[in-house]
Amino acid sequence: MRVKVIIMLCVLLLSTTVSTANPGGKGDDVRSRDCAGSCHASSSSNGVSTATLDITFPNEVYAGLLIEVQTSIGSVDVSSNSMVGMTLLINSDGAKDLPANDGWEVVTDPNGGSNNYVEISDTFSSQNPVNRSWTLRAPSEPGTYGLYLAVQHGTPEGGVAMSGISDIQSVLVEEVPENLPRLSPGWEPTNTRGLGEETTITLETMNTDSATVELMNGAEVIVIPVVDNQFTIPAAVNPGVVQWRVILEGEGPTQSSPWFRITAQEPGWEVDETALYLQSIALFLLCAGLVIMQRPKNEDIIKDYDNTDHVVATVETSLDTISDESQSPPIPAGGIPEGWTMEQWEYYGHEHLEKMARGEV
Amino acid sequence: MISAGTFHVISTELTIGMFALSGVAFLLCMLKKGPDSREAVAHWALLGGLIATPLAIISGINASPGDGIDNPLLANKMLLSMTSAGLAIGVLIRRKMGAAVDARHAGIGMASVGLMLTTAGMGGEFSRGETLLLFVPKETVMIFPLWASIVLIILGIAILSKSAIEHRS
Repeated sequence: MRVKVIIMLCVLLLSTTVSTANPGGKGDDVRSRDCAGSCHASSSSNGVSTATLDITFPNEVYAGLLIEVQTSIGSVDVSSNSMVGMTLLINSDGAKDLPANDGWEVVTDPNGGSNNYVEISDTFSSQNPVNRSWTLRAPSEPGTYGLYLAVQHGTPEGGVAMSGISDIQSVLVEEVPENLPRLSPGWEPTNTRGLGEETTITLETMNTDSATVELMNGAEVIVIPVVDNQFTIPAAVNPGVVQWRVILEGEGPTQSSPWFRITAQEPGWEVDETALYLQSIALFLLCAGLVIMQRPKNEDIIKDYDNTDHVVATVETSLDTISDESQSPPIPAGGIPEGWTMEQWEYYGHEHLEKMARGEV
Repeated sequence: MISAGTFHVISTELTIGMFALSGVAFLLCMLKKGPDSREAVAHWALLGGLIATPLAIISGINASPGDGIDNPLLANKMLLSMTSAGLAIGVLIRRKMGAAVDARHAGIGMASVGLMLTTAGMGGEFSRGETLLLFVPKETVMIFPLWASIVLIILGIAILSKSAIEHRS
């Protein structure tokens, strides 16, 4: 038996994989800077990334308006899954470092979501820098702001979780000129759509006389007319990303919006949650009922109120004790002989009484 | 306040730890080996795990990214954990009714523990992308039609009621 248990434990131990942190990633989310789980490993499992990190802002950044920010990751060798997690932050302290704390809003992240932390898979190598675009809404108050780009990734050999952060990249956010043609502050672009469906987008603009949309199709740029502030992007046949931007003309200087991205994706997995919850409850009740229905046979029942055996056993023990005590010979009027103990009397008292009866004592 | 994700980790570890302890104790009961306390440990640990299970389920739903249950792993986790909880409650009530801890009783207890550990394993795959449950069809979800679930609920309630009445008599 012991050998079987040891073999089983050895098989279990050998079937585990050696890895650190979160090799499969943690998923895109709004996250502060963290260790990607490597804080649970030994210090030998952590390392400082050698990646060169950079953030590029447009020339003019106006308060409260949308801008396109480019991030670049170079000189980095990663694990076999070619994944890097990158985070936009406002400080390197690991606390209160979300862009939203300074008034930034991530409108579209490189994966089509609205998170400050995204995981991207690409051909990362020491020779091949990887660029990604973010669409941000600048803080509403003019001033000088800064952003950091932090990364976390594995190593080609595995076993070490690397993390790194860029130097601060500052940008001057200016007051918006009064007559500047622009998109309304409350307008949000569409980030995702399903396959095979056209996408009609309604623009909300300010100080704008006319607008034109440019759609990037590979290297080709297609101009799409805007009618009544609406335009339509053709349906996507395959999953992928298309980019578009709007050229706004009015009394002020002509403005181009950032390139917005719409990700066409397969419809997600859906389930009728009501049916799922009902089935869960049904399984719960049915399993409980079926187990309880396996009622113990009469001979198996140990009834709490049936103490017959216990009482009988107790009585028999008491009787035995009484019987044992009664075996002790009666003590004569003069008491037990001098120098005797009660234990001696119990054993030899009978003989003494017989001698007394014969008048020998 | 702590996030739903952190609370889910706490409640899950509590649940899995208790269930795992219960599973080992039930195994000893089945093998008729080990100390006499194995029966008490098996049932009390199962009860502890059962108490923590609803917390793990609710916090897990709140902690999952996206809206609602949008992944087959999550759906299977829900079904498995509720099935496991049903078996566990059945085992505890059956024991309370005076059933001997025989191989059948211990086997049902171990089945409950196994389902809960499978649930935890699927959670590991959902959050970390890695699992030891390589050959379990985790991406396949079998959903009954609504009417079937309702029938099963009624059936379950009827069985429970009948058992309760018989036990009282």
